[in-house]
Amino acid sequence: MYIIVVGGGNVGYGLALELQQLPDYEVTIVELSSSRANALRDELGEMVVHGDGSEIAFLEGVGASRADLLIAVTADDGANLVTCQVASHWFNVPRVIARVNDPRNELLFRRLGINSIVSASGAVMAQIEATLPEHTLIPLMALESAGLQVVTMRVQEGSAVDGQTLRSLTFPQGVLVTIVIHDGTAATPSGDTVLHHGDEIIAVVPREAEDAVRGMVTSPPVAAEE
Amino acid sequence: MRVVIMGCGRVGAGLAQTMQAEGHQVTVLDTDAFAFRRLLPNFAGRRLLGSGTDDRILQEAGIGEAEVFVAVASGDNRNILASQKAREIYGVQRVVTRVKDPLRAELFNGLGLRTFSPTKVGIELAHTSIFAEMPEGAPGAGGGAGA
Repeated sequence: MYIIVVGGGNVGYGLALELQQLPDYEVTIVELSSSRANALRDELGEMVVHGDGSEIAFLEGVGASRADLLIAVTADDGANLVTCQVASHWFNVPRVIARVNDPRNELLFRRLGINSIVSASGAVMAQIEATLPEHTLIPLMALESAGLQVVTMRVQEGSAVDGQTLRSLTFPQGVLVTIVIHDGTAATPSGDTVLHHGDEIIAVVPREAEDAVRGMVTSPPVAAEE
Repeated sequence: MRVVIMGCGRVGAGLAQTMQAEGHQVTVLDTDAFAFRRLLPNFAGRRLLGSGTDDRILQEAGIGEAEVFVAVASGDNRNILASQKAREIYGVQRVVTRVKDPLRAELFNGLGLRTFSPTKVGIELAHTSIFAEMPEGAPGAGGGAGA
């Protein structure tokens, strides 16, 4: 497995340290600044290459056409986007991951087909949400191509789903309740499964249904649903 | 037409001046206020301080109603990011992007942008000039690759 990491800042450096441990991985770190590249090379050795990762001719030289994965983690969203597009469209790299520094660029990256996006602010937000006592819906994993998320939620007392069987509930289209954890025991639910407050639910939720689902596990039933 | 130009360098300023003289409604963006000095005092378009990669600035420039977006700022990647944003997010019909690296220009031309590479054009002009039959003492073609 050959991985090219573009950007030797703190993120790229940390990534390199991790990937270096894995036996069957060949890794190249690309860094634009020559002084930074030299400093990294002192520690990481020959895997560090000085150059512009968004330049086609340069990527050719580091063997982009045989790369299995390219990860662009510079502090410049333009460079990350272009690097990933060059990798996918010019070199047919099967998988690319881009770091998004400005969260407002996320939508553009998605529209342009970047399969995986790492957003520092998004990751921090997920951590913050997880620590809030009233946390209710935490994204565990994004399935970008399908616009889905795997989430975990905790059923709140008196919410619309509390005490109800799954069969009696109408979740938004596309929601799959896959695991219900009751008293520490995980089970695949059936239509007869009753949800209790305190239960944890693992579900696949379309991005646009997230707010509706959150509402169902946290808020009392809406009168109109009677 | 409503035209948004990202980058008020020699090319951006000159183009803004030309388009405005033709009666188009022009907004020029630059991250450096000093760059606007290149516009003539009679320039009647808008000058907006900020980056064309920034959604807030693009919206302030009226990107949603623009028919044309031109990216001629200094960095290729910035130009490409802003141009794709104009096209994919704000639905601008005609997006023209300067990409100095000829290969990158070619790639993004295939991905829906109208790109031009001053490097490629400059090489061709210089090469043509070398072999052009010149009257004695005449200077060569004047349009270099100055950015």
